[in-house]
Amino acid sequence: MSHDASPALFELRSVTKTFGATRALDSVNLELHAGEVHVLAGGNGAGKSTLIKILSGAISDYQGELCARGLPLRFADPGAARRHGVLTIHQELSLVPTLSITDNVLLAQGGRGWSFVSRRRASQQAAQACLGVGLDVSAETLVEALSISDRQLVEIARALHMGGARLVIFDEPTSALSDVESRRLLDRVEQLRASGCAVVYITHRMHEIRRLADRITVLRDGQVVLTRTRDELDDGELVRAMLGHDPSDQVRSGPAHVGRPRLTVRELPLGDGRVSFELHEGEILGLAGLMGSFAAALLLELFGAGAAARAERVQLEGRPFAPRSPGEALAHGVALLASDRSESVIASLSVLANATLSSLRAYTRLGFVSGARERADVQLHGARIALGAPSLAADAGTLSGGNQQKLALVRCLLTRPRVLLLDDPTRGVDVGARAEVHERVRELAQQGASVLLFSSDLDELCELCDRVLCLRRGSVVFESRRGDFDRERLLRALLGTSA
Amino acid sequence: MTTLRWRAARLLEHSAARALVPLLCVLLLGALFHADGAFFDWQAHRSMLREISVVGILACGMTLVIVTAGIDLSVGSLVGLCAVCVALFTMPLGLPDGVGVLAVLALGAAAGATCGALVAYPRLQPFIVTLAMMVFARGLAKWLAGGQKVTRSFRGPDGDFVTVPSPRLFEAIDTRVLGDNVSVVTLIFLGCAFGCWLVLSRMRIGRYLYAVGGNFEAARLSGVPVRSTLVFAYALCGLLAAVAGICQAAQETHGDPETGMGYELDAIAMVVLGGTSLAGGRGGVGLTLIGALTLGYLQKTLSLNAYSTEARLMLTGAILIAAVLFQRRLARRAA
Repeated sequence: MSHDASPALFELRSVTKTFGATRALDSVNLELHAGEVHVLAGGNGAGKSTLIKILSGAISDYQGELCARGLPLRFADPGAARRHGVLTIHQELSLVPTLSITDNVLLAQGGRGWSFVSRRRASQQAAQACLGVGLDVSAETLVEALSISDRQLVEIARALHMGGARLVIFDEPTSALSDVESRRLLDRVEQLRASGCAVVYITHRMHEIRRLADRITVLRDGQVVLTRTRDELDDGELVRAMLGHDPSDQVRSGPAHVGRPRLTVRELPLGDGRVSFELHEGEILGLAGLMGSFAAALLLELFGAGAAARAERVQLEGRPFAPRSPGEALAHGVALLASDRSESVIASLSVLANATLSSLRAYTRLGFVSGARERADVQLHGARIALGAPSLAADAGTLSGGNQQKLALVRCLLTRPRVLLLDDPTRGVDVGARAEVHERVRELAQQGASVLLFSSDLDELCELCDRVLCLRRGSVVFESRRGDFDRERLLRALLGTSA
Repeated sequence: MTTLRWRAARLLEHSAARALVPLLCVLLLGALFHADGAFFDWQAHRSMLREISVVGILACGMTLVIVTAGIDLSVGSLVGLCAVCVALFTMPLGLPDGVGVLAVLALGAAAGATCGALVAYPRLQPFIVTLAMMVFARGLAKWLAGGQKVTRSFRGPDGDFVTVPSPRLFEAIDTRVLGDNVSVVTLIFLGCAFGCWLVLSRMRIGRYLYAVGGNFEAARLSGVPVRSTLVFAYALCGLLAAVAGICQAAQETHGDPETGMGYELDAIAMVVLGGTSLAGGRGGVGLTLIGALTLGYLQKTLSLNAYSTEARLMLTGAILIAAVLFQRRLARRAA
């Protein structure tokens, strides 16, 4: 691909943006060409989101310049960016869940508030837009009735429907999607590229970079570390560039040390099926499943947060185990790391209070909390997991996503769990934090705890697990030990193309 | 100059500093419009403290509930109900003071716990539940009092009017101590504030209150006993409403079923003036104390300058909005 002949579609020239004392972006140069997918990679806090905000007009006070086809311009607001053909698909979707697809498409078109709209025509147009992205549902469906991945397609359909798209920005679009759903989305991205759009794509997932990227820019601490075409860069170099050092995350080696069974699940009704398995001491057991596999529901049920407790179905160390609340499960040494950070970290509470929320009983005498012991323990665990917090008194909401997830893990570890349930623990977490989380989980298993890991990221299952179960609609359809499975086999098992 | 601004910004990161700004403004107003020096007289401050005490007790309990992202509209009516009950128990029924007080405290806590249970288990909205309790408790107070004030003169069992001496409890509460300087009600208010502070910042249940208000689902998945925590918050708020009701009856020396009308709104205003967010998960009793002083001094200044009640109400409303807007701007700048 030679771009030397024509100026880039969009170009950032030595763009700098400071927030108070911190430099979010430091003289960043970036060229975006038509018909090219440009992947932005980097850890949380590297400056990716600031960069996107400048491109999409959400930030207008920065130094340096933005050029379109060589002509300098500055977007005053997101509306101006849209008029120049810049569309952004945000991580948090901007759809109104209680309205239909048609209404949401109409909302985006703006127009005057008092103008009449022809519902029939709008509905037809919305339906057409949905078909264009491969979404086959009625345009009158309420958005809240759609799955996350379908909502994302609606968002894309809506963006494309407005027309004139020249640059489409995707901000971690697959972080909430399973592998199969991601594939559907990646197809759309390729379709956009083929139609001559420039695409900026942000992701933490290596296999997406491998599949999509024409050009990769790695950001670290607000600076461009490197910009290369896909062929010039191998995976190891890419991870090193993002981290700034060699990764410590290695595939778990050697045969797993597997002890006695700790958690026994026998014919537990789940969705349309029944599940049986044994989880042993020191074992990391993986659960793979697509949306609707009930894998996450299984974790919640074992944690006492599900629909009903069934004592006769589950045994913990030989005794019936039917917790009626998460508190009861924790008292039996079973901890859960929730997938959604909005369900694990309490933003308005301090780092310290978040960390000891589940184990507070151990730091209490006569109802009063002993601050010193609590502080010492949290400091110790925080240092071990490289928790990046300004202080223990800071609000947890001020931490980056990766650090919030580390904090949630510290909370689980402080309860000294014998069984740790992980529900997609590194979704949307950067490479560095992901490695730290993996390290701690391995260490815990080494010490004899049992880990049950559900992940939508098949690479994660391959790196961590001693054994993997694939679930489909509440039944185990495939079981395999370490050494016998890889990404492709798991994917085939999930899709049902081979057992 | 810049370092000074930077220091000011650092200071305003503390929510207590932000709450103090409106208080200082109100004090400045009082000093400017001092009504011929009346504002500088100790008497003015003493009576202001006495006047905010009953509502201040309610505001302490309200803080606990608001921290859980709830609201308790029933406390004003509970003041009326508890005032009627303590008057009934001690005067016409002739129970010993101690028994009467304990019974009324239990009644307040039970009413609060009922609200809490309705919020916690069927997950009804706090606004609706406590609105219902507000109406119910007011009705109950009027029914028990027979539509009139419960005083020390009442119709005895044989149909004749009898008059008994005021219970010693009323006199004990409605006096001043420490060299005739601080009224007992004010001490009770400060004691309640200290108790609530202990609960919120030093006890495990306090952490749970913040956690439940900050993120209910996350708190549940962290093993916090979310439902009993909610019941506790409303029960303690009801208990403090009973304390306020007893104080109110003592000051009025009778049980008026109409008393405490609208107190819940003043209590909420004190909490909000302190900077505690109605969204829950943040705030504290220290802030509420500052808010109570701000509201108290504002009303004192207006009354010293002989503003009519109408003007006072309108000005209070306007200043409330101004103070909250102002604090939010400060918080944004500090962030």
